[in-house]
Parts: sequence; structure tokens; C-alpha cells
Amino acid sequence: MRPRIAIFSLTSCEGCSLAILELEDQLLSILDAVEIVNFREGMTERSWDIDIGFVDGAVSTPEDKREVEHFRECCTKLVAIGACACLGGLNTLKNYQDEDEYRAYVYGDCAKYFPTTPAQPISAVVNVDHELPGCPMVKEEFLKFVTFALAGRTFKLPEDPVCVECKKKGILCLYEKGIICLGPITRGGCNAICPSYGAKCEGCRGIVAEDALKAAGVNLREQYDVDLADVLADVRMFGAYQEKTLP
Amino acid sequence: MPLIERTSMYRGDSLYEPRPAEITAVEKLTADENLYTIRLDGGGPLGHDPGQFVQVSLVGIGECPISICSSPTRLEHFQLCIRRAGEVTEHIHRLDAGDTVGIRGPLGHGFQVHELHGKDVLIVAGGLGIAPVRSLIQYILDERSRFGAFHLLYGARSPAEMLFQTDVIRWRENKDVNFHTTVDRPDEQWRGHTGVVTTLFQELPKLDPHETMAIIVGPPVMFKFVVLEVLGRRIPQKNVYCSLERRMKCGVGKCGHCQANNVYVCLEGPVFRYGELKALREAIG
Amino acid sequence: MLDRVLSRKRLLELVDELAHARRIVGPVKQNDHYFYEPVDRADRLDLDFSYCVYGPKAFLLPPTQTLFRFKQHAGTFETTPEHNDEPLGIIGVHPCDVNAIRLLDHAFANTHPDEHYLTRRRQTFIVGIDCPGPCTEGVFCGDMHGNEATTGFDVMCYPLSRDDTGGDVRYGVVFGTDAGREFILYAQAGDPPSVEDERAFERYQIEKQAAFPQQIPYGVDTLPDLLERSYDSLLWQATARRCYSCGSCNLSCPTCYCFNMFDEQELALGTGERKREWDGCQLRSFAEVAGGHNFREAPASRLRHRIYRKAKWVKEREGIAGCVGCARCDRACTAKISSVEIYNQLAEER
Ligand SMILES: Cc1cc2nc3c(=O)[nH]c(=O)nc-3n(C[C@H](O)[C@H](O)[C@H](O)COP(=O)(O)OP(=O)(O)OC[C@H]3O[C@@H](n4cnc5c(N)ncnc54)[C@H](O)[C@@H]3O)c2cc1C
Ligand code: SF4
Ligand code: SF4
Ligand code: SF4
Ligand code: SF4
Ligand code: FES
Repeated sequence: MRPRIAIFSLTSCEGCSLAILELEDQLLSILDAVEIVNFREGMTERSWDIDIGFVDGAVSTPEDKREVEHFRECCTKLVAIGACACLGGLNTLKNYQDEDEYRAYVYGDCAKYFPTTPAQPISAVVNVDHELPGCPMVKEEFLKFVTFALAGRTFKLPEDPVCVECKKKGILCLYEKGIICLGPITRGGCNAICPSYGAKCEGCRGIVAEDALKAAGVNLREQYDVDLADVLADVRMFGAYQEKTLP
Repeated sequence: MPLIERTSMYRGDSLYEPRPAEITAVEKLTADENLYTIRLDGGGPLGHDPGQFVQVSLVGIGECPISICSSPTRLEHFQLCIRRAGEVTEHIHRLDAGDTVGIRGPLGHGFQVHELHGKDVLIVAGGLGIAPVRSLIQYILDERSRFGAFHLLYGARSPAEMLFQTDVIRWRENKDVNFHTTVDRPDEQWRGHTGVVTTLFQELPKLDPHETMAIIVGPPVMFKFVVLEVLGRRIPQKNVYCSLERRMKCGVGKCGHCQANNVYVCLEGPVFRYGELKALREAIG
Repeated sequence: MLDRVLSRKRLLELVDELAHARRIVGPVKQNDHYFYEPVDRADRLDLDFSYCVYGPKAFLLPPTQTLFRFKQHAGTFETTPEHNDEPLGIIGVHPCDVNAIRLLDHAFANTHPDEHYLTRRRQTFIVGIDCPGPCTEGVFCGDMHGNEATTGFDVMCYPLSRDDTGGDVRYGVVFGTDAGREFILYAQAGDPPSVEDERAFERYQIEKQAAFPQQIPYGVDTLPDLLERSYDSLLWQATARRCYSCGSCNLSCPTCYCFNMFDEQELALGTGERKREWDGCQLRSFAEVAGGHNFREAPASRLRHRIYRKAKWVKEREGIAGCVGCARCDRACTAKISSVEIYNQLAEER
């Protein structure tokens, strides 16, 4: 039997769901192999029975929270996709601002009709089986996840940092140009896409290991005379929630 | 162009290609361990030494090293005792008789049985450590006249976790082997010893230290305590053998994963003399 | 002793001829750095390159390489090994990288010959270019004897003189293999060395000796013993607290050859490939087994393992140095952990 798959979006740019559509070549084979039962449908149908539910977006409103709790009930496996769903992502920026201010900014006079809550990764609200981080999610990783699921294999995220992929691609390290890059502390699997284009890694796939973060603290201070907190604040975009929860 | 080209379409074999082999029987040993009887496609013996291992493949999933737990004297098939521990072993546990696995090997350096011929043998096994030495036990029992006294001490966590129960019953009754068992956590039916495997040393008669070869296979914590007992009985370090476990990938001394200090366990091991290991800081504990 | 002398111009012509039969790879400048890149014409090569950011290892041991393809059917499976025998010419290999390739050759040929590597290697033609002096700051190839290659190349070119008008370089050439001899002689390229050429070569050698400053004052021959005594040094921990376990040092090292193996299945299942990919002993999970036990849990134990391999174990096992002193590891380390600094710190502890 083909596994029943659904894709949901919470507060996000939906770039991650789009990334799936960008799989063009493989999309047809995926559609052959699985049954897509729900792609951002309404919440009316109650008898959902879903094997794998992919969710993008952060939990940012009370409505998001209700939705994600509902997804959790319907799906055997719940998979967070993209930096927003895995880490809170872009949305967590608001956690660092005054609530009334950002609400007035976003919603203008209508602010009072749009209740929001501090942005959270979905794992803060419900139990998540797997995470496919990245901004946007890495589409090849999604494909791998589906292939693994079909083969009955357990998908595991890469445990090596982005630097490994830079080396395999033979890219000049940004540090050689005097740029501080978060690659050494960020989970790889993105094929070092940012450094490939000469842009520093901003950590959108989350921190690879706590000891790396600790090393970064020591190292940036002692070797580069830079404060890790400043470097992280600079890229708060992705890691904000995670940063707060780390020791 | 006057260049001598050496472009003969060379295609050598691959070191990494597994041979298909059929699982002819699966026996459930414990909750997490199964015994697989395997026959190479086209038949024929594996040609291994006791203590060697094979890389078991499920194409599409991966490969993992598993000790051969049957004696080379049993020619028509070989056996593997596999604990469910992770990805590949989990998938192996989903297979049945008639299914196919890939086999690469035999690999590594096993027990050199000729060194044991004519000697008394003491085998001490803990937990899954019984798997690699079962090959040797079967060999000794099959070729019993080549050996002197044969002592076998086996410790498991609980009676339910004791492997090779049918063998255990037979070994208990077999006059050819002085066999004793112990468990850490006994149940009501248990009538053997209780406690760690070293408690079984009280069952041993006076050993002839220079004629005895000692073989110790089990988890690292056990290893240290058993070595103390064995050396305490004046068995020379060069006559003490053990088997090491490391992460493995290639199994042929290339990939570097199995290194313990400067030793490639997949190549020089997994069976080592204790004397060789002493200098290896990473080897024990 | 030289076998031939040859102008740069003539060498490049020969390379162009070689390009009819082989894929050509060599140093190419990108912004301020050099990389080994495939080229279609010899004049794209920059043989005056200082050093390449990475060695040419990726062309012999690719970062990811298919070992065999598999196909499952009727309850069993079939495999087809994959060997790449495309003829390759690597032009402009400095002695450090020649020596590194020698180590790979040995490691993949010994005990169990690895045809995936060896097939490529047999099809590879190597033109070495010697270094008259250190290519950049921080290299310690002079200490490690990595800056002198006596075998491992097909031809080695020593830049004996250059005319300053931006024109040609005159190379003294040494043949390393029959194929190298044929490469030059069948084309009747260059001239037999004259007495002046031989004397120029002698001067070159002497000046080269002086040009490489000693970076390890205690002498590299003391390193194996030094390390033997430094197993429990606090320096490992003190240094490794900065280590990211990022593996950049491993993966940019021309002598590192450890790898991981994994399977890749197609979505339709049933077919796929078993591959290998570069791996490194500094990475966290390198020595981890099922159930989570890690035989090298602490970053310090991984740092020690790498350094021991480089300066002691590889040499002891393979008889060929495990480090050629190119300092790529040191440059790649964003934590500024330097192997040569570690050697010197350990020596000072004694
Ligand atoms: C010489 C030797 C003999 C062994 N004999 C047996 C045996 O007879 N019975 C048995 O049940 N187990 C044995 N093991 C342990 C067995 O290899 C591991 O349990 C197995 O590799 C786990 O693989 P996995 O894919 O299920 O686990 P995962 O955790 O998914 O491991 C992934 C990969 O890492 C490597 N790996 C992980 N753990 C180990 C490990 N402990 N040893 C080596 N490589 C590892 C393998 O390449 C494995 O495929 C032996 C190990 C060695 C080194
Ligand atoms: S550019 Fe960034 S990710 Fe790449 S090697 Fe350098 S530090 Fe690592
Ligand atoms: S260890 Fe460092 S210096 Fe030595 S060969 Fe490797 S990269 Fe070069
Ligand atoms: S490290 Fe030494 S041998 Fe290598 S390129 Fe630089 S100077 Fe030449
Ligand atoms: S490059 Fe530096 S930080 Fe990264 S693993 Fe090597 S020593 Fe550690
Ligand atoms: S398992 Fe690859 S070297 Fe031993």
C-alpha cells in the first residue's frame, strides 16, 4: 500500500512546500510511490488518516497551535520541515521585539483582531518525529526522507557540519577572506549552498552539536576577538529559539 | 600520437562487492538475537578461521560486521548470531528463511587453531562474546582429540539472555568439556551460578599455566577482571587471546574506522594476543 | 642527474598533445587562489602557481565515489562494480602532493588491493613541478621532507632558470617512469642536459635547501618518540577545547584517505548504488558504534589520533610519511589549531 502523505503550512512563507514542487524531475516518481491526501486543505474533515504529515511554518498564533495539535492527532509520523517549523525561524525575530510594536507594524489598526503568541518551533507544542531543517528545506533531503520511508529505513540527519561539504566541493573557506562563517557549528546537509555562492553560513539548519557551540565561544573570543553572542545576534533569523534554549 | 597508452579496458574485481547468500534457517535465540544459517550461492564452504567475521549486506540499506559463529569443520553452511542493534541489524531481523543477504569475507585475523592444537584450552565468554567463540568451541568439540583439557565459562545477564540454549544444554551434558554458566540476574528456574563470570573460576581445577591457552571474549568491563584471574594463574600473556570490537566499514584495512591506536582491528584483529594489546592504550577500556 | 631540459613553452605543447588522449587537470587561478581544475587547453594552466588550496586528491579518490551498482530482483540481487579508467593527466603537481599520492598508492595497493582507486591511478599521468622555495608562509614541507619527490611522478620539472622578460622557464626534467620518458622522448622534445645545465641543477638544489626555513627546530625524526611520550599530555585537551570537530583539517589534507560507506537507493527501490565518501577522524561519529558508544568521544582524543597518524603511525605502518608538511590542515582550521605548533609545544613540554 502506498503511504498516505500530507503537507501542511503554519505561519511561514510556504517556501518549503514550494521546494517540494521544485523537485520537478522526481516529483512524478514521488506521486507514483505515495498518495498525497492533503495539501493545505481546510480543517473540516475529521476522519484523516495520514502516515506522514509534513509541516512547515512556526507556531505563531493560537490558531497555529490548534492546527498543529490536530495534525499530530491525524498523522502517524509528524515531520517538521524548514527552519520555521524546526527552529522557529524568521518568525522568532518578533520574540526580540516589543509585542505591541510588531503587531501594530504587521497588522496596523486591525492588530486586536489577530492574536499572536511568541513564535515557537512545532516541537515546542507537539511531539515531532523528524525534522528536515533549512531555509528553505533542502529538497534533496526531503526526497531522501521519502525514499527512506518507502524502504522502511529510519532517516537520520547528517551529523557533520557544513565545512565537510565545503571541502568535498573544494570551495575556498570564507575565513581565508576574513569572513566569520557559522559553518563549523551548523548541521550540514545543505551541500554548503551559501559558501558555494560566497555567502557565509547563517546557521539555518541549526546547531550541529553543543560542544561545537562551546568551541565557537572560546575560539571566536581567543582567536578572533569577536563575541559569539554578537555573531549569533547577527544571524538571529534562524536560530533564535534554539539559541534561547541552549545552555 | 606516439604516446604509449595503457588503456586496456581494465576492470578488476571490487573489494567491496558482496556475494549473494541464502538464509536457510532462522532461529530466535533471545528477544533481540537471532541465529541465521546461511548458504553461499552455489554452495561451498566459506573457508574461515574461528574468530573471523563477515560483512553482512542488505543492498540498499548497508553493511555490518558479524562474527562467524559456526565451525569451519561444518562445510555446507555457516551461522551468524545477530543482535538487533541499529539500522542494518534491524532490517536483517525482518528477514526469513529463503531470503537473500550479501556476504563479504571471511575477513580479519581469527584464532590460529594450530597454535591451540595439543594444548589445554580455557574459554571465558560474556554476553554476545559467546558468538565469536562458538566457532572455536564447535571446532574443538569436532576435533576433540587434538586438544587437552577444555574448560568453558560462560556468563550472561539473565537466563533469558543466554544465547545458544540448545548448545548450552548439550555442552552441560558433554563430558568433553568442563562447562559452567553464570547469570547476573537469575530467575526461579535458574540452577547455575549467580554473579559475574569471574565467580566461575572457582570451578576450575589447577591449571598447567604453560600448557594452557586462555581465550577471553566479552564486553570491555568483563575483560579486565578476567585478565586478572587468568594472569593470576600464571598463564603467560602471549597465551591469552581476546577479540576486539570497533566501528567498521570497509573490513579490509582501508577506511580507518576500526583503528585502535595504530592497529586496524579489521585486519590485524579482531583476535589479538593480550601481549600485543597491552601497548594499545585505546584497546581496553 | 637530469634526464632532459625543456622550455615551459615546449612542455605546454606536449600537454596539449596529451590532451588528445587524456583529461587534463592542473592549477588554475580563481581570484587570488589556485585550484586544480580540468582544462581543455594547456595555456589555461598557471604553472607559476604558489600552491593549490586543495591537493589533486579529489581526482584520484573522489569525495564521493560509486563502488558498485545493485539491482534487486526475484528475491536476490546483482552487483556491477564501477571503475573509472578514463585517462587523466595531472599537470603541475608540487612535490608535497606527489609524496601524498605515493602514500595513497601504497595504502590502496597493500594487503587488499583496492581497484576503485588503483584503476584510476594506473590511468593517471603526473607531471610534477618542483618548488625552489616555500610556496607560502607556514608550510613545513622542508622539515617533513615533503618538498622533495624522488618517485611518484611520471616526469618532474625543476625550474632552473627563467628569463625576466616574462618569457620562458627552462625546466630540468627527471623521468620517473617509462611513460614519462616516452612522453618527452617520443616527441623529441627539449635537449639533453649540458654540463651547464647539470651545474645549474646542483646550484638549484643547494639554494633550495637553504630556502626552506626549519619550522620544527627539534627535528622531525624526533616526532615519533616525542608523541610516544606525549599521550597523556594536557596539551591535547587544552588545544581541543577550541576544536569544532569539523573535519576541515582531514578533508583538506592530501594524505587523509579514510572513508565512509553508504547505500543510495532510487525512489522506485530495487536499484541503487553503494558509495564511499571522504570521512575524517576528527568528526564526532567516526568511531561511534550502534547503541551510541564512541571509542573516541572527547575532541581531545580525536585530535590526538589525527596528529599521531600524521607524525607517527602512518609512517610506522606504511613506511611512508603520513604528513608532507603542506600545512593545508593548519590553514583550513578556522579554530587556528596548527599541527606544527602542536609538535613544537609538545617538544617544549619535555
Ligand atoms: C569484529 C566484529 C564482530 C561482530 N560480531 C557480531 C556478532 O556476531 N553479532 C552481533 O550481533 N554483532 C556483532 N558485532 C557488532 C555489529 O557489527 C553491530 O551491532 C552492527 O554493526 C550494528 O549495525 P547497525 O547498522 O544495525 O547499527 P547502526 O547503529 O545503524 O550502525 C551503522 C553502521 O555503523 C557501523 N557500526 C555500528 N556499530 C558497530 C559495531 N558495534 N561494530 C562495528 N561496526 C559498527 C556499521 O558499519 C553499521 O552498519 C560485531 C562487530 C565487530 C566489529
Ligand atoms: S566557508 Fe564556512 S562552512 Fe565552508 S569551510 Fe569555511 S567555515 Fe566551514
Ligand atoms: S597533516 Fe597537514 S601538513 Fe601534513 S600533509 Fe596533511 S594537510 Fe599537509
Ligand atoms: S608545501 Fe612545500 S612542497 Fe608543497 S607546494 Fe608548498 S613549498 Fe612546495
Ligand atoms: S579543522 Fe580545526 S576545528 Fe576543525 S576538526 Fe580540525 S582541528 Fe578541529
Ligand atoms: S573497517 Fe575499514 S579499516 Fe578496518
